[in-house]
Amino acid sequence: MNDFGLVLIGLILCTTTTSSLHCNHLPLQQKKVIENSLQLLDKMGKKFPQQCLTEKMSFRFPEQVLKPRQREAVKMAIEEIFHHIFYIFSKNLTLAAWDGTALEQFQNGLYQQIEQLEACVIKKQTRVFQNKEVNRRKLKKYFKKIDCFLEDKQHNLCSWEISRAEMRRCLQLIDKVIRKI
Amino acid sequence: GQTSLKSPQDIQVYVVNTNFTLRWKYIGNDTDVTFSAEYRWFEDFGIDGTEWTELPGCQYVTRKECDFSSAITEYYDEYHLRIRTERREEVSPWSSIFEMTPYDIAQIGPPGIELQSINGDIKIKVSPPEANRVRKMWIDDLSFKYSLVIWENTPNAKFRNQHIFPTDIIDDLAPDTTYCLKVQATYPLESKEGLFSPVHCVKTTHKVNVPFCPTNVTILALNMNFHLHWNNQYQQHVSYNVQYLSGYLKKLYDDYSIKWLNVPGCENITDTQCNFSSIITTVSGSFYLRVQAMNEYNKSCLSNEVKVDPLVTNEIGPPDVKVDIGDDALLHIQIYPPGGSQSQLMRDHYDLSYRILYWNNSSNNEVEIQRKEIKQTIGTISDLTPSTLYCVKVQAFSVVYNKSSDFSKEECIKTPGDKILPLIILATFVIAVFVVLLVAVPLVFILYQVYNKIKYVFFPSCQPPLNIEGFGGQFFNSPYRSTTEEPIENCSIIETIITEDLNQIDFKDCKHSKQSSRDSGNYSNDDDTSGNKASEETLEKEII
Repeated sequence: MNDFGLVLIGLILCTTTTSSLHCNHLPLQQKKVIENSLQLLDKMGKKFPQQCLTEKMSFRFPEQVLKPRQREAVKMAIEEIFHHIFYIFSKNLTLAAWDGTALEQFQNGLYQQIEQLEACVIKKQTRVFQNKEVNRRKLKKYFKKIDCFLEDKQHNLCSWEISRAEMRRCLQLIDKVIRKI
Repeated sequence: GQTSLKSPQDIQVYVVNTNFTLRWKYIGNDTDVTFSAEYRWFEDFGIDGTEWTELPGCQYVTRKECDFSSAITEYYDEYHLRIRTERREEVSPWSSIFEMTPYDIAQIGPPGIELQSINGDIKIKVSPPEANRVRKMWIDDLSFKYSLVIWENTPNAKFRNQHIFPTDIIDDLAPDTTYCLKVQATYPLESKEGLFSPVHCVKTTHKVNVPFCPTNVTILALNMNFHLHWNNQYQQHVSYNVQYLSGYLKKLYDDYSIKWLNVPGCENITDTQCNFSSIITTVSGSFYLRVQAMNEYNKSCLSNEVKVDPLVTNEIGPPDVKVDIGDDALLHIQIYPPGGSQSQLMRDHYDLSYRILYWNNSSNNEVEIQRKEIKQTIGTISDLTPSTLYCVKVQAFSVVYNKSSDFSKEECIKTPGDKILPLIILATFVIAVFVVLLVAVPLVFILYQVYNKIKYVFFPSCQPPLNIEGFGGQFFNSPYRSTTEEPIENCSIIETIITEDLNQIDFKDCKHSKQSSRDSGNYSNDDDTSGNKASEETLEKEII
C-alpha cells in the first residue's frame, strides 16, 4: 500500500476555493525553508569545537525515508523532519551560547512552514500518514535518540554542538534530495 | 491430556499515553480461573523477536484486564502478545497472537487547563498531556494542536469550536457570563485526536471600554514595504508604541506576553501609522503586531493583534516597461521587475512570471487584446503589421501565491512602414518614364519625317506653271533656241511664244532646292545659285 499514506496531491496541486487559505506555495516555500535553515544553522554558531570530538555519537539517520519512490511521500517526510527539528531546538539552549537572532529566524522559518501545512491539512481534511509505516517510526526513533542524548548530557555545549552538526547533515541530505525532485 | 479450559478471546489493548491495558473476553462459567499473558518484542524492526516472556502485570490475574505498562519501553517497536487461561495445573491453549506497535495504537491523553478571566475575555493556559512525566509517548509536544470547545452554561447553548495556542486569549465573549469549555490535543498530520480534558467553567468579568484604544489595525504592504495603519477616535494626547512578536513563540508553552518587542522607529509616536519593514529581516517566518496606546495619564490600552505572513500579506507592484522595435521588425519588450532593491528577493520567492497584453491601437474598430505569458524579463512579439501603432502593458504575477500586480503604464510604439515597397514603386516609375521616352521620342521623330515627306509630295510649296505641263526633255534646250528663229518648214508654224515665256521664268522662285544648276553661260543668273538639278528634275517629271 502507500508508503507515506495518502499523497497530498489534492492538497498541493488543487487550487483552493476559499480566498483566505492558499496551499499552492507550500512546495516552493519548503525548498526555501531548507535553504534558509542550512544557512542559519551555520550562522548561529562557530566551527565545531575540537574538545567535543571525543563525545561524538552515531545516530544513524534513516536515509531510506528520503528515497524518492513517491515525490509526495518524500515531501511529507521532510515536513515531519521539520517538526522534529523545531522541537529539538526549542529546548534549553543557554549553554550552547549561539546567536539568538539567527536561532529565532531558524525557528520562525521552520514554524511558518509547519503551521501553514497544518492549516492546509485540516482545511482539506486530508489524511497525511497512515499509521503502519516503518520508515516514519524509524524517523521518530532517530530523533528520540537525539533528544535523549541531549537530556543525558543536560544540554551542555558539546551535546548541542553534536546535535547541531547532526541536524546540519540531515538538512544537507534533504537539500540534495529535494533538488532532484 | 485434553483440557476443557477455553482460551481467552477478543484480545484488545487500550493505550492512553504510556498506560497499557490488556483486555480480553472469556467464554465460560468458570469462576476459579486465572489468566496469564506472554509477550515478545521485535527490537529495532528486526525480523527475529525475543523469546516469549512473561508479561509483567498480567500474571495470574483474576479480572479480565491487566496493566502491562512496565513491560513496554520501546514505543516504535513491534510487540506480540498472547494469553491463556489457567486453573490449578490446567492451562488452556494460547490465544491468538495480538500484534501491536505501541505508538500506532496509543491515544493522546487529556491536556491540563488553567483559566482566568481578564476584561471580559478568558485567558487560557494549556499544559501538554504528559507534562511532568519522565517517560513520554508524545515526545514532541510542540506538534500538538489544541482544539477548544466552548459554550455558554445555559440549556441548549451553541457549541463553538476553535484552535488555540498553549497560551491564548478567548475573546468575542459576553461579559458577566458563565462559560464552560474543554480542550483536546490533536496531531493533525496523523489525524489523531486525543481525549478531551475534563470540563472547566468560568465566569467572564465585565468589559471596560477604553476610548483611546486603537481600532481597525490593518496592514498595507507593497513590494516588501510593510506599513501598519490604525484608527483612533480619541485623538488628543495619545502616543503609540507598535510592538511585534515572532510567530513561533506562540507555539511554545512559555508565556510569550513578556517577549513582545518594540518596532524601531515606531516608539512613542503620534502618527497612526508605522513602517515596520525593518523587522521583516527574512521572508521566512510570520509575525504578530499590535499597537499600544498611552494617554497623558499613563493609562495604556492594547489593540487587537494582526498577523503578518510576509509573502502572503505583501502585494506585488507593477513592473516598469520599455518597448523597442528592432531591426528584425520584432517588437521587443524590456521588463524591469517590481520592487527596486527587493526585486531579486521577490523574483526568487514568488517565482514571478509576466503577463503581456498588447493590441493594435491604429484602427478605430474594436480592439482585440492579445496576451502572452513569459518567465523572462525580455519578450518579443512577431507577426506585426507595418505602419501600425501597438500598445503594450505588463503585469507581474505569482502562480503559486495566487498574486498578481497592477498593470504597468501603457507603452505605445509605431511599427515602421514597409521600406521596400515605396522603393519599388519609385523604381518602376522611373523605368517606365525612361522606357516611354525611349520609345516615344524616336516615334515622334519618325512621324514628323513622314509627315514632312507627305507634305512635300502632296502639298509642295512651289508649284510649276500650268503651261509647262507635259513639256518633256527639250526643256533645257529651249532657252537657247528661243532667241533665234528656227528654220521654218513648210509644214507647220511652231509657236515660239512659249519659249519666251520660259525665259521669263525666274528660277529664283525655286529657292528651296539646294542643288545649283550651271547654265551654259548665256542665261546664267549669277544671283540665282539656288537653281538646281532637283527642281529641274521634278519639273521634268511633271512635264512628262
